[in-house]
Amino acid sequence: MKNWTDNRALMVAGFAALNVVMYLTIKKFWIGGSSFLPMIGKPGPDNKFLFSFIVNLGVIAGAFLGAVSSGEFRLRLPQNFSRSIIGGILIGVGVTLAPGTCTTAFVTGIPMLSVASFLSAAGIFIGAFMVYGLTWRR
Amino acid sequence: MLWIGFLFGIGFGFFVQRAGLCFAHGLGEIFMGKGKRIARYFLLIFVITGTGFWLSGAVSPLLGLKPVGEIRGHGFYNVLSGLIFGAGIALNGGCVLGTLRQIGEGNLSFLVVFIALIPGMALVVYGLNPLLEKGYQAQQVVLPDLLGVPGGVVMGALVLAALAGLKYIRSLKKG
Repeated sequence: MKNWTDNRALMVAGFAALNVVMYLTIKKFWIGGSSFLPMIGKPGPDNKFLFSFIVNLGVIAGAFLGAVSSGEFRLRLPQNFSRSIIGGILIGVGVTLAPGTCTTAFVTGIPMLSVASFLSAAGIFIGAFMVYGLTWRR
Repeated sequence: MLWIGFLFGIGFGFFVQRAGLCFAHGLGEIFMGKGKRIARYFLLIFVITGTGFWLSGAVSPLLGLKPVGEIRGHGFYNVLSGLIFGAGIALNGGCVLGTLRQIGEGNLSFLVVFIALIPGMALVVYGLNPLLEKGYQAQQVVLPDLLGVPGGVVMGALVLAALAGLKYIRSLKKG
């Protein structure tokens, strides 16, 4: 029998609903890139980024629980170090050049109708398509 | 307060893992002409979160629609940051959510990505930002204020458009 947690659209809806519940209960919403700033000693005003960092540590724990409970957890060692390192550095640059507007744009910024997020999303499309175009031609 | 955030994070992580949500993969699917799945997810998130955020304004004046992030340099740095970020996620195959999810699933390549964020962020925060901040103005604006139209009207129109989009995608799947 198919488990209800296998319904992907329902799980996406759950993520979105939880973001609204968090906003209503503690007046904070999910943010992505800026949450990593505490790793370089920037906890943000009123520990705003530190809070989001803790939320995102919880995301790792939650993903672990989801993967273990569904039998999808599999330990895989790093394979392409240079690609991961260059990709990570580019993400690090991107998320700090205009904070709070990258993955955050798709799940929080655009639903907030934040103009900064619309602009970043446009840039993300262009940047991603340029890399896909270059790498997939090979 | 931090432990409450951690508990919310566990919930987010569980949903993201079970949904297999990753915007980097989604952009790749769009590039291959198979963007129905990610478009459906994005519209679903928009309808639920957008409506919820807008309605929250009725609960408390501290809630409601708020700008997320800043418009920097009349939008130039937002597009540039998106461009660099987009290139990064396409290169390693994971957005921020996707990276966190993959670490939780045991893929240690994404732990390398996670650690590599540090030099990238440090470069901007300690190197570029002190130079750039003198040269740009930062603004925080939401779309209704920019258009001079009430938030309910803009959100209502966009949610209706998103619902129409979801219906269209559903009709494509049936066809």
